[in-house]
Order: sequence, then C-alpha cells, then structure tokens
Amino acid sequence: MTVIKVPALDLKQSAYDPNRPISSLLKTQVEHLHVAEKRLPSRYHCEIYVNAIRTEGEAANYIRAVTEAIHAAHKEAAALRVTPAHKRGIEIAAVADERSECQRKPRAVKKNGKSAKGRGRA
Amino acid sequence: MPTGLDNLKHIVVLMMENRSFDHMLGSLTAVNPNIDGITADLSNPDTKGNPVAPQPKAQYQSQLQPDPDHHFPAVDLQIFGGSTDPNRQANMQGFVKSYFNQQQDVGHSQNIMYYFTQKQLPVLTILATEFAVFNRWFASIPGPTVCNRAFAHYGTSFGRVDMNPFEILEPFKSVYERLINATPKHTAKLYYYDTTSSTIEVVNLLQNQPELFGTYQQFLQDCASGNLPDYSFVEPNYSDHATSSGEQIASDQHPDHNVQAGELFVASVYNAIKQNADLWASTTLLIVYDEHGGIYDHVPPPSCTPDQFTASANDTGTGMPFAFDRLGVRVPAILVSPWIPSGTVVNNVFDHASIPATVTKYFLGDFSPRSPRETSANLFLDPNQNLLSLGEMRTDCPDFST
Repeated sequence: MTVIKVPALDLKQSAYDPNRPISSLLKTQVEHLHVAEKRLPSRYHCEIYVNAIRTEGEAANYIRAVTEAIHAAHKEAAALRVTPAHKRGIEIAAVADERSECQRKPRAVKKNGKSAKGRGRA
Repeated sequence: MPTGLDNLKHIVVLMMENRSFDHMLGSLTAVNPNIDGITADLSNPDTKGNPVAPQPKAQYQSQLQPDPDHHFPAVDLQIFGGSTDPNRQANMQGFVKSYFNQQQDVGHSQNIMYYFTQKQLPVLTILATEFAVFNRWFASIPGPTVCNRAFAHYGTSFGRVDMNPFEILEPFKSVYERLINATPKHTAKLYYYDTTSSTIEVVNLLQNQPELFGTYQQFLQDCASGNLPDYSFVEPNYSDHATSSGEQIASDQHPDHNVQAGELFVASVYNAIKQNADLWASTTLLIVYDEHGGIYDHVPPPSCTPDQFTASANDTGTGMPFAFDRLGVRVPAILVSPWIPSGTVVNNVFDHASIPATVTKYFLGDFSPRSPRETSANLFLDPNQNLLSLGEMRTDCPDFST
C-alpha cells in the first residue's frame, strides 16, 4: 500500500491571519446569518453590528454567535414542545412562567455558560 | 447490480471553493492524455491583444488578490470574451480581460492563467489518478457560490444567479428532507467545520433545520464509530479563526486562502473514511468544487436543459435574461472508492444537480417533484455506466500521511 506524504503547511506562506479583510463569501455568509438573526427571539441577538465587520476574525465571531444562537433557540423550542399536555388553566400558567423565564435570561446561553452579550469583535 | 454498488451504503460529498479544473488538475494531461487539461495551444488575450498562455506558476496563497470576480456578468465575459452578439459562441477568451478589470494591471491580470503542478498538489493528484476524475463536471450556473451550492442541495437555485438569500419554492425539497422523510427512513447530515465557520446554507437549512448539521469533529467520530449517515455533505473551514483547540486556518481554498491547507483537509476526509475498513468498503466520496472562482479553464460550458425559472436581465446584470440553459465553468471533481479502477477518466457531462439526482436515485429510486435541471442531470452512480466496476475491492489504495 502506498503512503503519500503530504507536506506540512509552510507557515511563512500561509500565516494565520484573522485580520485579513473579509471576503465576498464571508460577507455573504454574515448577511445571510443576519437575516436569520433578525428572526430569532431578541434574547438571542448577539448585538454585533454587522455593518462594521471588516476582518475575517470579526466575521468569524459573528458567525459563531448567530450559529450557536440558532441551535440554542431550536433546542429551547424543542424542549418546550415535548412538555406533556396540561389542562387549559395550567397551560395559561405555563405560558406565564415561560415569559418570566425568558425575561430573566440575559442573552443566548452558550455551552460555556457565558451569554452572547459582551462578545465583542476581534 | 455491480459489486461496488451492491456494497454501497454511504455517499459523502466534499464541496470545496472557487478553483477551476485547469488551475488544479490541468497539469495531469502530461501524465494521462485522456485527462482534458492544459495543452500548448491554449491562451487568452490580454487587454493589449497579446496571447497569454497558461503557466505552471500558481502559488498556494497571495497571488489571487483581489479575489477574481465570479459574479454573473464577469463570468459571462470570461466565457464569451466580451461578445454580446445573440449568436455568440462560448470561447473562454475573457479571463485575462475580466481580471484586468479589477486592477487595471496587465501583468497582474496574467495570474488568472496560472495552474498548479502535480508536485504542489499531491493529494488531488493522487486521488485524480488513482480513482475517477471527471473531464466534464461543470458548475451549475456561470455565477457565484450561493446559487451554485443551491443546486447541490435542491437541484435548482429557484431562479437565482447571485449571492442573495433565496427561498425554497414549492414543491421542491432539499435532498436531506427527501431522505429523512422517506419510508423507510434514511439518514442525512451536513457537516460544517465548526460553529465559527458554519455553513453557507443558512437561510433555509440552518435556520429551519439545525438538527441536520454536525461539526467536522463529529464527522470524524461518526466515521470512526461507523455511524456515518447514508448521505453526508461536508463543508471546509471558511475562515482563519481561533478556537479552544488553537488557530484554525481556512481550508476551503477560496482565494486568497491557502490551497495547501485545503489539500490537508481533503486528505483528512479521505483518511477518516479509509481508516474504518467497513466504512471504506461501503462508501464513495465525491470531491468537487462549487465554481471556478473566476480562474481560467479552457472547456466551453455546454448548453443544458433549461430550468423552469428565468433570471431577468436586471438580475443577471448582463442586459440579457438567463433561462438556466447553460452550465457554468468546469470545476475539479473526483470520485473515490476502492471499487473504482485506477486511472478512470469520465467524459460524460455533470453538474451539481447531479448530486441530489444521484443521491435521491440511489437511496429512494424514482422521486418527484424535482426540477427540470435535476431530472435531466447525469448520475455519477449510474448502474448502466458503472464507475464502481471492479469485481473485487482494491487493496492498493493510497494512504495519506499528514
């Protein structure tokens, strides 16, 4: 069996550069995610100003924040969906509880427990 | 059904970014004349009328700045050389002119004709020569990323030729929805690199069905544990970014990202499948690029069955409407499986609509509704033109050491 050695990256040429100006592809990705973000409940908004994103690193921060927020919002909705059915009176109470819980949540909850708020641009 | 197809349980598609066939694989004509790449008679005129030949001077990075224009009007210029005559013929003579338009620098505009040597791209070179390389796989549209990738997911771009968000129009469904809603149920997943790279398919799939997505780390785990879905679509890393595990270098090969990083990523996907013996025997991997990224290729895109949508003259930006009746520029495409004879070269015409067409046909059989473009697209796992044709599985397939 032939083993092909793939050369390691030449770091002089391929310097890691999150400050590279944003490409048209990443700009598009940011724009599409902004469309999606606007449809999320406001508590999941990340408060990064997309028009001010200039670099790949800044774009990456925004892309991560909204992608994780989309997953979190769907996860939350799915959790509510599997809640056993209740009688009407209790349903109303459940909705009331849900609202107050949402209001208590500062922002989208991340895996590491930090909120999306305050994640500034790179 | 032939043996290779009998054993096939998984289809994996890895879609890279923005490189043309001649740019990446054109040098292979020198080792196999059946591969339709670079020959001595090819050229493009520069803006002074001087012929510019393709040259093996491509670099991994820092050569294609600014990003070559590959929006619809620019690609129209690249394909037709600037002619707007109603009876014009595709001649692939406008690449240097198009790149000149971005910097007004005659010398720099010649970079668009550069191609890689085999030595520079050991992974693609080995895969293309050891398995099946497609001489005629074209982008679905002579335009940019988003609308081309739409063809890979839906078999149509719903009339779009640009980068704007689009909506899925009834009655069409993504190939993923077709599979997971089928009876019996099939499995399908899109693997993006990580949440910081995410996906290009945001507005429809990620926003509405995030459960379809996994990370590349999960892809590696699913390969190792034998839990790969029936159909997997893998996206590379689209950005340089930092994670808890370190600095991640973009691997999508989109100019001006490092091409060598993409080579390593392709090798990683291949190795992940090959290192699980059962998975290797029952999987085929298609490596394909979404579009040519404005970079030179010499094969005129053919006409094709029109889609049921038409982009207006205003939308195309050329002053002419587009009926989706011509394919985009040719891109690299390689099919990998231990059931494929070494050195296979495929000459039938394919485009990204062939992806949902093939996946749907293989797992679900006849299925409707599908777009006219998808319905008429050739299948890369067609039993009648079988590429997985060996009676016994190969044991001489290469391994990549990274």
